[in-house]
Amino acid sequence: MRGFVRQLLTIAGKDLRLELRSRERLVSMMTFAVLVAVVFSFSLDPGVEARTVAGAMLWVTILFAGMLGLGRSFALEREQDAMMGILLAPLDRGALFLGKLIANLALLLATEVAVFVVFALFFQLSYWKTLGSVILVVVLASVGFMILGTLFSAMAAGTRLGETLLPVLILPLLMPVVIYAASSTQRLIVGRPFAEVAGSVRVLVVFDLIFLIVSILLFGAVVEE
Amino acid sequence: MREEARLSPPGVIQPTAAVAAVGVEKWYGVYPALRGVDFEISSGDFVTIFGPNGAGKTTLLRLLAGALRPTRGEIRLGGAPLDYDEPAWRARIGVLSHQTFLYGQLTAAENLRFYGRLYGLAKLDGLIERRLAEVGLWDRRDDRARGFSRGMQQRLALARTLLHDPELVLLDEPYTGLDAHAARMLRRVLEQLKDGNRTVVLVTHNLAEGLELADRVVVQVAGRWVSDEPRSAIDAVEFEQLYTARVGGAE
Amino acid sequence: MNDVVESQESTRRWAVILSAISGLSVLATFWLIFFYVPTEREMGIVQRIYYVHVPSAWVAFLAFGIVALCSLVYLWIRDDRLDAIALSSAELGLVFTTIVLITGPLWGKIAWGVWWVWDARLSLTLLLWFIYVGYFMLRGATENPERGKRFAAILGIVGAVDIPLIHVSVLWFRSQHPQPVVLRAEGPTADPEIVKTLLFSFLTFTIVFFALLLLRYGLERLQRRVDAATFRAATRSSSINSQGAVR
Repeated sequence: MRGFVRQLLTIAGKDLRLELRSRERLVSMMTFAVLVAVVFSFSLDPGVEARTVAGAMLWVTILFAGMLGLGRSFALEREQDAMMGILLAPLDRGALFLGKLIANLALLLATEVAVFVVFALFFQLSYWKTLGSVILVVVLASVGFMILGTLFSAMAAGTRLGETLLPVLILPLLMPVVIYAASSTQRLIVGRPFAEVAGSVRVLVVFDLIFLIVSILLFGAVVEE
Repeated sequence: MREEARLSPPGVIQPTAAVAAVGVEKWYGVYPALRGVDFEISSGDFVTIFGPNGAGKTTLLRLLAGALRPTRGEIRLGGAPLDYDEPAWRARIGVLSHQTFLYGQLTAAENLRFYGRLYGLAKLDGLIERRLAEVGLWDRRDDRARGFSRGMQQRLALARTLLHDPELVLLDEPYTGLDAHAARMLRRVLEQLKDGNRTVVLVTHNLAEGLELADRVVVQVAGRWVSDEPRSAIDAVEFEQLYTARVGGAE
Repeated sequence: MNDVVESQESTRRWAVILSAISGLSVLATFWLIFFYVPTEREMGIVQRIYYVHVPSAWVAFLAFGIVALCSLVYLWIRDDRLDAIALSSAELGLVFTTIVLITGPLWGKIAWGVWWVWDARLSLTLLLWFIYVGYFMLRGATENPERGKRFAAILGIVGAVDIPLIHVSVLWFRSQHPQPVVLRAEGPTADPEIVKTLLFSFLTFTIVFFALLLLRYGLERLQRRVDAATFRAATRSSSINSQGAVR
């Protein structure tokens, strides 16, 4: 068990260290997210109150920025076939999956901070009253997003189409996350109490747990040859 | 072709060979990369497998490394069939390929530390120092691998391969892209591997490099072993003629 | 080799038998739909599309269940036949999902007054259709066929686990956002003729599905044998030194 944790932290630490050096993914995800916010502000009719559609805008932005990052998730491993080196090590495939998941999740959460700040500035949103609940919803939905994202980006990396295939594969599967995350975020932004989104939060937890287990079990079949 | 392989039986068969293949086939869909290979390699042997491109040499090496699963048959390490769900035996194998498995953005020491942690090695700092010194890269430990020449990268990859002191070392065209100096350096380290305890399998299509250190010489063509002889029974010049005739000068 | 031929013979035999039964069954269903069952009072003639629409949806989900089951066992024992069944079933699933998505709006236009509403079941079917499309794109984009089979199996399993969650979420979404529904499909007063026709239609579609599945499966197996034989013939006729293409 200690070996398992050490291995997954080694993988996650390596990914994050590399990302801190190059900042490729983080910069492209954040730039993209801010640009989407700009696009939204110019494409929304001035008569529409942004607050009433903020949940949808935020999650559309997060989904696509996240997918942009996932597309590069396994790029570093391809360069000198480091994935082969990792697979040759006495490493539990579940630890490899969790390590990758943690690194991807950290990047997404960092991007989400930027997304929420920028949207607050551009659309005069305020999350202070329900900040704790908003964070809870965003983290749970992001975990679900990245669980399927990590699993499928590993598969997409092994195909001819690469990252272009990723949205086609995971968007239909992510619909529960989208529905509950967007509606909960929307409600919390307009100041509704947490009790109103408690049911959604429960489903998100169920989604995360189910796919965490399924993905850990299936990941071996993704990376094996 | 099967009969030919029998004409030259492998050396003394030990009760538990270091590594063995039993009826191993590997198919990629309808394409057979390996069409049935049976062998045992004794502990301490240095075996070279020659073959033209597409003979399935890399496939065989990756099967031995446990990176691929055979379509049929099984690979045995120290007598026990490989259990792909149980990772422990992977620590007994080291692989050096023409791809380095390294991260360009990590320094030499960081690359080794990363792999050392994956292998769960104790006293990692001292070990890294020793291995880097062995391949002459201790002075460059804090430089990123991307800036290294091809030869230095391959030396670092060699340090990575031997980091966890594997009993079975698998080499896949390790000389590819090396200049004369780097190749000499690599040869010197490989020579040290022949200490009687370590089993080495080298896969190459370069005759001179392959014959140099080998105890046993195998020729693989189109996914089958077509000859298998002790090095002592081979005359280098004659072998070259035979090999060239057999593979039709494919190189 | 004889075993293979024999099992293919029996696959073909069963496929022919089932096809014959399904042919008769389809004729009977047509008779029921167009002559036997009375026109539904509220929705009129368009309601008859129901007898195609609902059984197609059932078969589409049945197909996906078979894909998931075969995928799971395939990852376990790696029997190529299971992959062939999963692939055949997924193709039929895509066909029947498409039928649902075409017949649904045709009926919805009359029943609801609009071509498309985000009705829970219609949304679920649409997402299922996308998952099927992804399944084939994934297979098609994978150069190593073994890897393609593995990846497709993983998508089949994840999709099957996800479908109930998608269902729950779209139901919930609907309950939060009431649609301008003109008429509800399930009237409390269904004539016994309607129920009988619908049940028979379910049976017919199920038989048709299994007949097609067997035919498609037999074809897939044959295709894989032909591929293998073609490759063997090609390599035998060429000399050893041109085997560079093997990998």
